[in-house]
Amino acid sequence: MTPLLYLLAIQAADPEVIDRIPSGYSHFVIPFTVGITFMLCWIGVGCVRLLAAIPKADRIKFWKSLLIPKTIVKNLRDLFGDCLFHVKIWMRKPLLGYMHSAIAFGWFMLIVLGHIEVALFVPARLNVTRGGLFYPIFYRYFVWVNPGHTTLRGSFFFFLMDFFLLYVLSGIALAVFKRFRSIVLGMRHTTKPSLADRIALYSLWLIFPLRLLAESFTADLSGGSFLTVGVNHFWHFLFGDKLWFTPCWWAYSICLGLFFAAMPFSRYMHILTEVLWILLRNAGIQPNHPRKGVAEAEIYACSSCGLCLDACPMNVQKKNLKYSSVYFIRFLRRHNEKKINAIADKCLMCDKCHALCPVGVDAPALRRAQRATVNDTLPYDYSYLPLAVPGSILAGETTATLGTLRGGTGASLGDASGGAERSEAVERPKVLPGTVSNNKVLYFAGCMTHLTPRIIKSVEKVFKEAGVEYEFADRDGGICCGRPLMLAGKAEAASKVIEANKKLIEGSGCGTLVLSCPICYKIFKEEYHLEGIKVVHYTQFINELIASGKLKVEKSEKKIVYHDPCELGRGCGVYFEPRAALDQVGTLVKAAKEYDESVCCGGSLGSLTLDTRDRAKISESSLENLLAGDPETIVTACPLCLKTFSEAVSNSRLPIKNVAVKDFAEVFCR
Amino acid sequence: MKNNILIIGGGPAGLEASAQLQRMGYNVILIEKSPKLGGHLAKWDRLFPDSVQAEEVLGRLLKGAEGVKCFTDTDVRAINRLDKSYNVRLTNGITVLSDAVLVASGFDLFDAVKKEEYGYGIYDQVMTNADLEAYFKSGSDRRIEKPGKIGFAHCVGSRDEKSGCRSCSKVCCATAVKQAIEMKQAFPDAEVFCFYMDLRLFGRHYEDIYLKAQKEYGVRFIRGRVAEVSENYDGTLLVKAEDTVAGKPLKVTLDLLVLMAGMRPSASGKAIGDLLEMSVEEDGYFAVRSGIAAGQRSPIPGIFLAGAATGPKTLPETLADARAAAMEVDRYLTEIFPDAKNYKQLVRERW
Repeated sequence: MTPLLYLLAIQAADPEVIDRIPSGYSHFVIPFTVGITFMLCWIGVGCVRLLAAIPKADRIKFWKSLLIPKTIVKNLRDLFGDCLFHVKIWMRKPLLGYMHSAIAFGWFMLIVLGHIEVALFVPARLNVTRGGLFYPIFYRYFVWVNPGHTTLRGSFFFFLMDFFLLYVLSGIALAVFKRFRSIVLGMRHTTKPSLADRIALYSLWLIFPLRLLAESFTADLSGGSFLTVGVNHFWHFLFGDKLWFTPCWWAYSICLGLFFAAMPFSRYMHILTEVLWILLRNAGIQPNHPRKGVAEAEIYACSSCGLCLDACPMNVQKKNLKYSSVYFIRFLRRHNEKKINAIADKCLMCDKCHALCPVGVDAPALRRAQRATVNDTLPYDYSYLPLAVPGSILAGETTATLGTLRGGTGASLGDASGGAERSEAVERPKVLPGTVSNNKVLYFAGCMTHLTPRIIKSVEKVFKEAGVEYEFADRDGGICCGRPLMLAGKAEAASKVIEANKKLIEGSGCGTLVLSCPICYKIFKEEYHLEGIKVVHYTQFINELIASGKLKVEKSEKKIVYHDPCELGRGCGVYFEPRAALDQVGTLVKAAKEYDESVCCGGSLGSLTLDTRDRAKISESSLENLLAGDPETIVTACPLCLKTFSEAVSNSRLPIKNVAVKDFAEVFCR
Repeated sequence: MKNNILIIGGGPAGLEASAQLQRMGYNVILIEKSPKLGGHLAKWDRLFPDSVQAEEVLGRLLKGAEGVKCFTDTDVRAINRLDKSYNVRLTNGITVLSDAVLVASGFDLFDAVKKEEYGYGIYDQVMTNADLEAYFKSGSDRRIEKPGKIGFAHCVGSRDEKSGCRSCSKVCCATAVKQAIEMKQAFPDAEVFCFYMDLRLFGRHYEDIYLKAQKEYGVRFIRGRVAEVSENYDGTLLVKAEDTVAGKPLKVTLDLLVLMAGMRPSASGKAIGDLLEMSVEEDGYFAVRSGIAAGQRSPIPGIFLAGAATGPKTLPETLADARAAAMEVDRYLTEIFPDAKNYKQLVRERW
């Protein structure tokens, strides 16, 4: 900065600005100085503690990331885009985006320009020992504009300062209005502020009107532009020549001090923590504890803006508002263990709050981390299963996680009551090592697909029709993919399941693995690291079959709406292929909310405690969302969604009994 | 003067109540939405525990209700409450001014398609208890051709939060035991399995048929819910369950699986409930004035309830309930209804 400032500061013969108070100090600066010092100490200590809590490897990764050009560019883009301009909010709700960016960017500019002004006109005052902490903030109090010596440069800054003050004030006006009629700004629900939030909020509201008041009172001494000078004339008109401005500066300083003192205990801590969080996030560091290290940066980066309240599918019922991510994070900050656990378990893990969060706070990941802190051991004893035979593929290591084994893969299926068929001692999925050649396709249905047999039937029909050579990995049952365990926070148990499945799939020698369940797909893609095997969801696979002409389809006029399953859409970013394929067989109509705003069907296995009645309410609203375009068929690509919507349609009070709910593969088989 | 009483639902409860009320001298109007009277009873072949013919029981009920004004193929279009009575417009164009309304809307069988993991409607060899009764009546079903192994899955859509029903449907256990015996009688060489959670054989003689099924017919009872069903290449079914007594998972290949679909509140009953703004309880059945002391009175004066409209009931329970409802109607129409001056106070005190 310094060389540039020297260039700008060509000294005029007579100074444009004169230090009105030679000491550069007045008692009214005390509240502000105390407040900001307290806040800076707090955040300094906090930063050190936070970075110390991050595992060493991650910490090194973090420092290194600050030197990688690609990350630097990303950091800058995100810092400006997320912290100052609030681009993500702009794109969804322009008025709300304007409000947030007016306050953030406007205030930022006021601080920056204030410092530039000091640097230009009274550079000595930037020194901390000479009042650098408060002087640029209260610049207009301390200076006197030398009449007859004003320059264009000075007027330009006067104009900019007034302009940004007006800009912030317009944001504040919207914020006050939002407290009373939030729906106008596109928010149905807003966060209930805590006590510290309220103190900080009301002082924030007052800061800028008081600044206008204070600066306009002194405008005939310290100069100003269209706003401050204009208001100054008004005061003269009202009160004559005697303007007693000190109380205004005191009030302004007290409000600032109060705001900064309340900041560490309020949601406004996000203003500074966000910066650290964005850097950590872009460095690719994941939280491994719900409260410490990265997670701490993450929870303090939450601005409690409340956008996740409207995003959360549970909030079709007002009573569920308390389970939203914003409150989860608030209770994490407060160490309220009892409430945190209840909230962490309730979540459907649809990831919508994460997708729509303006600062990218990954609340579902925090909930997973929280789930991992409780009930670590499974209270079941599966030692009776003859599975624990040493040397068998699934032996030993999986005995602890058998809670998720379906239907008894590899388990001996005896007939205790004597009549049932006795199978061989250990039964295993039919795929034997090396039986599938490299260009062959392996189809893994997964537990949920096994509970919706029509999907299996349709997938097999489509494969046969397109002449796909395939092997059915878990025809007679397989092991769970591990994702439900992962969602329950049992990462270690999940890793054992993953290991067992991995051996099985790599041993088959297939080239492509097709999955019909998005839950399986996500974990196979992200956690399995299958070398040389292409992992695809059946929507992608079928789309490819159509594109390559192997699967013949006929276009019809039938109106189809496609539901984005959470794990497939937000979870894996697969939005395009299913729609491209469906477009070949029918006319796609739009849902009210789709893509990353799609509403969870309510059947998610992510929630550990949500009961059926609450789920039914969610399904009802999700169904209504899909019916916006008056479709004849609802198509989804997830066994859970399929089940949930079939149920929801038959229970619905709407006249939609003829709306068919179909699985993706079902649409393509004749 | 004869009071008009409208009875909604021509199943066993409606028929029995109309017979009793007619005997008491009231002017009974019975409406039934389907073309035939008798409800589910008309579709059943034999009844537990004594294997009496359903037709015989229905015949007796119909005979008792002779002379009752009866409209089949008729539903309720609108209901208005007047001062004390109800003005009911029917779908056949007739309007009835009725001093009391008895709702005997019964139940619907759980739609087994919803329990998709059991494969009803997907696999050829899966049928429901109602399908099996239809087979017994008609003697033919494409699914039944000398089955070697037959399974009965209890609690399909009952005691199952996932299918939206927590409560027990009461009749399926005994029905399954009865049907298992009947299948054994029809196919003596077949092996029959019953997959149950608990056997709720609470009624008189129920335990006897359970013992008979085991001793005389060799039906095997396996304590454990069916987890999922899949189809083999040859069309047979692979049933996975857990034998919780032995503590082991279990796989059985079956030629036929019969799903014991449970009771759900009647959909058309619910529509009538909506017209009357009658409250339903969490389980979807109509709320009663008091579960113990006034099980046939709804919370709305002049509206009575009988049979499975207030929760699953066996046939004898339904008939007893219908008779009790008739007594309640009579008490209301003689004690409370005629006193125009004190009507509101009497309702407050005695309803």
